[in-house]
Amino acid sequence: MSISDKDFDQLRDFIYNICGMYFHSTKKYFLESRLARRMEATGTKTHMDYYQLLKTLKGAEELKFLMDEITTNETYFFRNVPQLNALETKLLPEIVEAKNKMGFRKLRIWSAGSSSGEEAYTLSMILLEKRATLLKDWIIEIVGTDINETVISQAKEGVYSAYSVRNIPDLYKRKYIRDEKGKFILSPEVKKFVTFNKLNLYDDSKMIFMKSFDFIFCANVLIYFDTASKSKVVQHFYNNLQPYGYFFVGQSESLHGVNDKFKTVHFPGGFTYKK
Amino acid sequence: MGLMTSLRQFISLAVSLTKNSLKGFNMDKLEMIKKAEQLVEKIDDLPTIPVVATQVLQLLDQPEVRIEDVADLMLSDQVMTARVMKMINSPVYKPGNEITSLKRALVYLGLKHIREVALTTSFIKAFEVDSGAFEISTFWEHSFGVGMVSKILAEKIGYADLEKAYIAGIIHDLGVVFLSNFMQDEFKRVLDAILNKPVKLVDAEAQLLGTTHCEIGLCMARKWNFPEAYCEVIAYHHSPSEATIDPVLCAIVNLSDLFCSVRELNYGGREWVSFNLFEEKAWQILKNESPSLGKLDIERFCYELDDAIPDVKELVDSIFNSKE
Repeated sequence: MSISDKDFDQLRDFIYNICGMYFHSTKKYFLESRLARRMEATGTKTHMDYYQLLKTLKGAEELKFLMDEITTNETYFFRNVPQLNALETKLLPEIVEAKNKMGFRKLRIWSAGSSSGEEAYTLSMILLEKRATLLKDWIIEIVGTDINETVISQAKEGVYSAYSVRNIPDLYKRKYIRDEKGKFILSPEVKKFVTFNKLNLYDDSKMIFMKSFDFIFCANVLIYFDTASKSKVVQHFYNNLQPYGYFFVGQSESLHGVNDKFKTVHFPGGFTYKK
Repeated sequence: MGLMTSLRQFISLAVSLTKNSLKGFNMDKLEMIKKAEQLVEKIDDLPTIPVVATQVLQLLDQPEVRIEDVADLMLSDQVMTARVMKMINSPVYKPGNEITSLKRALVYLGLKHIREVALTTSFIKAFEVDSGAFEISTFWEHSFGVGMVSKILAEKIGYADLEKAYIAGIIHDLGVVFLSNFMQDEFKRVLDAILNKPVKLVDAEAQLLGTTHCEIGLCMARKWNFPEAYCEVIAYHHSPSEATIDPVLCAIVNLSDLFCSVRELNYGGREWVSFNLFEEKAWQILKNESPSLGKLDIERFCYELDDAIPDVKELVDSIFNSKE
């Protein structure tokens, strides 16, 4: 069933207000097809019926299923190119310069909700490329955390599918990925900067120990949290950053109304939050 | 031209720009205006305002002008008429109902805006073909995008004249087309120098050319007799806090320019722009004007801007294809 503009706007506003994820008009057909699956599963006849269902008490549960459909729950290397460009072009050199002045040559990055490790390893590759120049003699620490132990073991293993590595630029692919009969194996060089740990972002007693990060990435995780938990977790991220640090969320995500301390810094194709 | 004549001209330019006061005027800016003047003067085939537009402007200067007469005159230029209609009925600049007659269009605009619309359509006519350092359509997409965002921001802060903001946004980069068309090699060098670097175009121009598109645009706008407030936007859209006539308008266009430059209305990515909104003087100026702006959902504003890009592209396309 094709979705009317009015229904689309209403659902988009609802998803944005509850989850903090914006549906671009260009993704209307995508939303339509994902909605169709959920409407079938819930036995709702029209988009409006489904919208009404989301607004009920039971709706919170259903919204999680919908978000799973929408985010496809699959990640891959070099997923958010504008973000990575901004990091390389401006944000990383800026922080390196500031820390060089203080004589403190250590970089700490956190991939929160690291899943099978693609984001953490993408960052590792990018930094590795700068080992001879910008980051000469620097200590690099990349920490990936997830609540799910299965994905953590996958991340530690570092073996990926063709789908997962399809976006890696050739330069990196040649250097850091070995193709073994369709299994793509990550080089130990890339793995050595990265550690993976189990962590529940709701766990305050653990969160306060995640200290002194220059960059924190947390894509497609906060959209599952209710507003109060989101505020709490984002406040932790804020505290866990260095005074000049940056916090990145996923494409089309928004922290509006969640935390008013972060400042938005804009770059081509996206924005980040600065402490 | 003699040095004294040139000097006199440049001083008169500077004096009128600062409303007869040189107090606080930035000497670098004066130097850059002087340099821009020399560059603009050197060009023999600088586009001129089309005859009909000139007549429209003359008519508007009459003390008791009637909209009917202006409409009759404009109708003798089919392309101009079509473009005025497109601009007014564009998806981003929509009046309540579609306006189908030129006379109603002019009534809607009001006498005070006919001048700028006539000038803007003339300006489009002068630069409608690819002959410069980049595709002209990317220039117009950026310009109309900034016009659209300027109008939206103007509305959000309660700025009294939304059409003024729209037109100021469209023409703010007049100097860029000059550089692209008449100083193509030099401008290409500037673009090459900043490719994929976090360096502002305006800073690279100042360094490599001794002047920028702001001053060059100012000289062109003055040659074309754009009203003073628009000249100021062209001159100060990268430094709104230096403006004296209408700093709020300059700030609106400045921020709109920044937002378009980080979404897909960025001249095909020729400049790598990044900015911390809270450190922008324009943001402070607009928040002083309207404190509620501080509550703006900036994230959503950016995402909605992405959604509006196809409309802007369609508008630009339709304006350039409205030959009849």
